[in-house]
Amino acid sequence: MSDLRALLPTRRVETWKYSDLRAALADAELPAARTELRAASIIAQLAPGVTETQAITGDQVIEERFEGEGLEARAADYVVAPGARLTRIVMQTGAGTPLSLATVKLGAGAEYRQFVLAQGGKLARFETHVNAEGADAKVALNGLYMAADGQHADLTSTVTHQSTGGVTRQLVKGVARKGGRGVFQGKIVVERGAQQTDARQHHQALLLEEGAEVFAKPELMINADDVSCAHGNTVGALDMGALFYMRSRGLPETEARALLTEAFLAEAIPDWLSDDLASEARARIQVWLLGRVT
Amino acid sequence: MLEVKDLRVKVGEAEILKGLTLSVPAGEVHAIMGPNGSGKSTLAYSLAGRDGYEVVGGNAALNGENLLDLTADERAAKGLFLSFQYPVEIPGVPMMTFLRAALNAQKKARGEPEMTSAAFLKRIREVAAALKAPEEMLRRPLNVGFSGGEKKRMEILQMAMLEPRFAILDETDSGLDIDALKAVADGVNALRGPDRGMLVITHYQRLLDYIKPDRVHVLARGRIVASGGPQLAHELEREGYDKYLKAA
Repeated sequence: MSDLRALLPTRRVETWKYSDLRAALADAELPAARTELRAASIIAQLAPGVTETQAITGDQVIEERFEGEGLEARAADYVVAPGARLTRIVMQTGAGTPLSLATVKLGAGAEYRQFVLAQGGKLARFETHVNAEGADAKVALNGLYMAADGQHADLTSTVTHQSTGGVTRQLVKGVARKGGRGVFQGKIVVERGAQQTDARQHHQALLLEEGAEVFAKPELMINADDVSCAHGNTVGALDMGALFYMRSRGLPETEARALLTEAFLAEAIPDWLSDDLASEARARIQVWLLGRVT
Repeated sequence: MLEVKDLRVKVGEAEILKGLTLSVPAGEVHAIMGPNGSGKSTLAYSLAGRDGYEVVGGNAALNGENLLDLTADERAAKGLFLSFQYPVEIPGVPMMTFLRAALNAQKKARGEPEMTSAAFLKRIREVAAALKAPEEMLRRPLNVGFSGGEKKRMEILQMAMLEPRFAILDETDSGLDIDALKAVADGVNALRGPDRGMLVITHYQRLLDYIKPDRVHVLARGRIVASGGPQLAHELEREGYDKYLKAA
């Protein structure tokens, strides 16, 4: 029998503080522990097979879908060649335990763009670690989560700038209903030699009802002196002034709320996303909002 | 048309309106003038149904129907419109999307057929052209980054599209230069008609040079303390509100 269960993180592990994986997988069938993976992240250990490094050249797009109802763990490791670009899109629906780990290394002038739409599950976690090793590397991380009653959505990322002239743009937006939980953990590290780094991180969440939870842990660690970095993090409710304004023009409350919430979330859909995927993302937001409006 | 009787409204612990009585017949435009803090905006918000404005006495009816039991959107569907002193920015929602949703929600509430996109588009283009509002503005998120004048123009554009039976204009002149003021006043005047009433709330007489009221009321310390013809506005401009504040 597997002893992988013993390796599952408890909530005492800092990076899993808000996502109780051990509890979420209490009844799940787990793969056997493999000695060769002992040092790897728990998601890599849970993922089938051994994670192989994929070399990215040119301009590549990877689309991933998580639709399962059970445990679905995937780990990927990308090395993006100098000047190349990787675009990764993750669409998560379903109510299972999707766990995703992406590790990305960027060469000089390379670019990584990512969009994650997470509808949450028993426990849904999307972990992204970008190491911008080369100079002038560009990173765009967009994320959108919607946690309904009993759903848990966790977007965790680190971006490390090791070289000069790097750019990071991170925008994550989320909503939670009563009994739903959203987690955002975003760390940006600017190392000593990474002068002229330009990094921005924004996370905004709306608590749609009493009893909704969002945990946010934004971190900016700057060890260079000639950089431009900014971050902002807000968790709040819908703007009552805007809501009254819309209602005074005739929109019933549920409709006004849905329109405002949709607009709020849609800002996280990046303009580089294909039209098809952008419409799909919008449609998923609308269905989510309508499906659960009382 | 609009009948307000002995209206008393609390905001938090403070009673702001202390027995306000006002009657605006159909086809007339009445002005409410008063110093800062007299309760002008409280009257506007109370009539429109904003949360936090607690009616503790009196009543308000539009065409004989009690407004105070209705939610803000139900009042809108009954034909009440409030042009905001500070129109709210609505990020991510284009003006057109918003207005079409609002118009059709009102029609739905009244049991009328919804307006088709084609008819809506035709109508909004006509209205925008009359108000000299560039069509490009209609595709931008509502009020986001608009100047004071543009926001007020958008308010009047919404009013023209929604065709309310009764409109309350709260400090529509604030923040407007003379050209914007004229454009907004022209828009309002075009909507005057025998079946529509309006209440124009203003601190200054200036707006009333362009929107000529049938009656002028002075609001001080939560009550109407004087009413008269248009000449009352000029008198206030000359003499100020002091004598009413002392009397009230």
